[in-house]
Amino acid sequence: MLGARGQRPRARLTMHWKTRSRLTSWLLGAVTIGFLLFQWLPMFTMFLLSFAGENGGTTFPMNGVSLHWYRKLWDADLFDDFKPPMLRSFLLALGCSATTVVLSVSAAQAMRGRFLGSGAYFYLLLLGLMAPGILVGFGFAILTRLLGIEGAWNTTAYVVHVSWALPFGFMTMLAVFNRFDPRLEEAALTLGANRITAFRRITWPIILPGVIGTALFGFSLSYDEYARTLFTAGSDGTLPLAIMAQLDRQLTPELYAIGTVTTVMSLVAIFLCTFAFWLRSRALRGRPTP
Amino acid sequence: MSSIRPRSAAAYWLAIPAGLWMLAAVVLPTLLILWVSLWGGQSVSPHNPITFDNYTRFLSNANYRWLILETLGQTAMIMGITGVLGYCIAYFLTVKVTSPAWRTALFLAFVIPFWTSTLIRAIAFVPFLGVNGLLNQALLALGLIERPIQAFLYSRLGVSMAQVSLYTLLASGPVVYMLNSIPPALREAAMTLKATPFTVFRRIILPLTLPGIVIGQVLVFLNVLADFITVTTVGGNKLAFLGNLILLFYEGSQIRATAVVSVLLMAVMLAGVAVALRIVDIRKVGG
Amino acid sequence: MAAPPPALPQLDLELRNIRKRYGGYTAVDGVSLQVPKGQFVCLLGPSGCGKTTTLRCVAGLEEPDAGDILIGGREVTRDPPWERDIAMMFQDFALFPHMSVAKQVGFGLEMQKKPRAEIARRVGEVLTAFEIDHLAERRPAQLSGGQKQRVALARAMITEPRILLLDEPIGALDYSLRETVMLELKSLQRRSGISFIWVTHDQNEAFSLGDLVVVMNHARIEQQGKPEEVLSRPRTAFVAGFIQGNNILRGKAAGAEAGLLRVDAPDGLFSVPLRGRPAPPRGSEVSFSVRAERLLESPGPEIGNRLSLRCNVVEYFGAYRRHVLEAKSGALVKYDQFGALPQSVSPGHLVSFGWKTEDGVLHA
Repeated sequence: MLGARGQRPRARLTMHWKTRSRLTSWLLGAVTIGFLLFQWLPMFTMFLLSFAGENGGTTFPMNGVSLHWYRKLWDADLFDDFKPPMLRSFLLALGCSATTVVLSVSAAQAMRGRFLGSGAYFYLLLLGLMAPGILVGFGFAILTRLLGIEGAWNTTAYVVHVSWALPFGFMTMLAVFNRFDPRLEEAALTLGANRITAFRRITWPIILPGVIGTALFGFSLSYDEYARTLFTAGSDGTLPLAIMAQLDRQLTPELYAIGTVTTVMSLVAIFLCTFAFWLRSRALRGRPTP
Repeated sequence: MSSIRPRSAAAYWLAIPAGLWMLAAVVLPTLLILWVSLWGGQSVSPHNPITFDNYTRFLSNANYRWLILETLGQTAMIMGITGVLGYCIAYFLTVKVTSPAWRTALFLAFVIPFWTSTLIRAIAFVPFLGVNGLLNQALLALGLIERPIQAFLYSRLGVSMAQVSLYTLLASGPVVYMLNSIPPALREAAMTLKATPFTVFRRIILPLTLPGIVIGQVLVFLNVLADFITVTTVGGNKLAFLGNLILLFYEGSQIRATAVVSVLLMAVMLAGVAVALRIVDIRKVGG
Repeated sequence: MAAPPPALPQLDLELRNIRKRYGGYTAVDGVSLQVPKGQFVCLLGPSGCGKTTTLRCVAGLEEPDAGDILIGGREVTRDPPWERDIAMMFQDFALFPHMSVAKQVGFGLEMQKKPRAEIARRVGEVLTAFEIDHLAERRPAQLSGGQKQRVALARAMITEPRILLLDEPIGALDYSLRETVMLELKSLQRRSGISFIWVTHDQNEAFSLGDLVVVMNHARIEQQGKPEEVLSRPRTAFVAGFIQGNNILRGKAAGAEAGLLRVDAPDGLFSVPLRGRPAPPRGSEVSFSVRAERLLESPGPEIGNRLSLRCNVVEYFGAYRRHVLEAKSGALVKYDQFGALPQSVSPGHLVSFGWKTEDGVLHA
């Protein structure tokens, strides 16, 4: 971009506009590819080093190739057993995902009812999107302390996690309902369906892809959340807390192994979701007509 | 009419759970922080008199004042870099790449990391930036440097690199959205009116994508201001911004000091968002 | 055994003074309408005139602020759509994208909790009747515009409603298809005896289909009547202007005598039949219309209403030739010549025109 600016005065005199357009394309393309490399290479480094040998360090050169660190992850000793936090994270994310779906769908449906104060309500939910985790987590910690409640991953952390995923789910569902044609519901109503039946039989199946997206949002935001959990989870931490604690003690390739495992799990989830969407849109389009 | 009647009781009942949840988990805690930051006296207790002493004590420390400025400077820098980078990428992906397959592939490569853990991505920068890290190895192999650069890891440079990598998508995403919503006919219309490509960009494309730029900048602003994870993982113990200070005070059980820093952070954020809202109406962008 | 009560003209639909406001905007302002059994009613008007809102009030998709709606003699004003004896066809059909044709045609019966076997049988019958049985397993995305229209119609008709509401039902179809579909719908309405309330902005549709044409403007009914009545006797200047081929002339009332109103217009003094209406007070603003094909070129002395016009443009419309003429006052007047007559008026000519007094239609 900067290069293009620098050359422009001369270019204007001598270059055909197509040449200039192609030059900009190349420059922007180089910037994009460069950034993508920059974005992926650290993760790639982590993948590679997670397969280091038994004496492998946390940097290059790689000392041998093995599954040692994954095996260590599997039969871990008491202090760095990542399995219980992982299970807690998984369950918490499931709960957060389910709650987010219910709350976002009903909140977005309520917005369609244009109730009094729906403008302020919109901003209330938007607020959760903008409030940083460190503040929400700290504030909620004060709240529970004042109320004399002991924090735990499946109570206080759960409440805060939902408040984090809910705005995303709400915005997603608003966008989904924005594209939804309300006349489909009206058609159902004139055909003898009451509102609940119309929602169940017409609206729900059509917004389902958006609902799945919301569920995925709810899961992954909770599963990866660190700041909010740090303040509210109490003694039994989630996976990100365990990773951070291990990082504080010592950086070992075991951390790379767990990082690789969770990243691969995220990728698989994204892939499955995309595949499901693709299947569904194909089903809606139907087989090509002869 | 639809499956919900305007202003019906059902609308209120459906709205209440999510609303209460947000009030209890976000609004009330935030107000509590504000209240706690005003607690006076010796011991930490709600029965003490309300005072601004906590603020004066904090702000009288030159180190802390400098920290605030440093945090703001870091945020501004990351906003600038991700803004330019994000716009270039957004423009390239939506306008310059014409093949749908390539566009999808590049876009996925851009977006997918966003769906993975930020913490893991930050940690991944450690072996990337270290003395024997991939970046140094690559630069050595290319003959661009003679000795590994120490300053990548556990430094402000490394933290900034990680933050740029983590947050460029936030700056870019809204621009992609706005660029996609510009009908191609507009560009063609401008060109038939004798506008050169650069004029089309400056007079048509840039103003129409401005709301996307502003929203992207707000997202980066909020995230960098409150970021402490990248700073702890990539910056080691040598670096701290306001977010780290909050954590430090909290771990030292200095609840009131934690609250003071939190309120200051919140005030900066609100000011930033207010400025952004003066430039664009976020409600209009959603369409 | 007592004799059956006299066959009262039972109404399928009655609207009594319907009003509907959205905030400060009045969408429907005192609309009253009576639809006898098995009628084809066309609500005609420009966009935003309130015709669709009126239709949605009948469907129960909107609740009027005031007034009563009676369907088949039963008051339903506050009833929800699913409790009304109606069906509706939507502008671009609103087919359920996730249901097969058979499934969505059967949806209405399913809502009536009919047994599964009966639903299957009736769906089969209706699909055959509408010649779409080969599409039964298709999804809407696999249908052409004409096929969608048939599916939407089958879906609405299967419940055998008392009234079928149609909101611009052929607006989404290709132009070439529209005429065929109009004919089919008209004969379907005749055979079924179901009342059709058809909303459109297209006067050709309204006048060729409707037993009763209701012209609306600015949330009110301007005129309702048989098509030929509305065409030949537009009641207001709006109706006259909305229907193609009318010349509207304005002037001041200048006394009445022998059932004729004298109108003092900028381009002359004209006589317009009152047709039993009380004469407007002397000096009040009045308007009347004369159809473009009723103008007479170089009229004889027996014609009282005459004025000279300069020809600006001649346009050819296939079946007729239209002349756009300008009066001294600047008013534009259309003159249509049907048939293969040789062209007698060319641009630039100044010609005398007139019309028979009974061809003038005074507006309210």
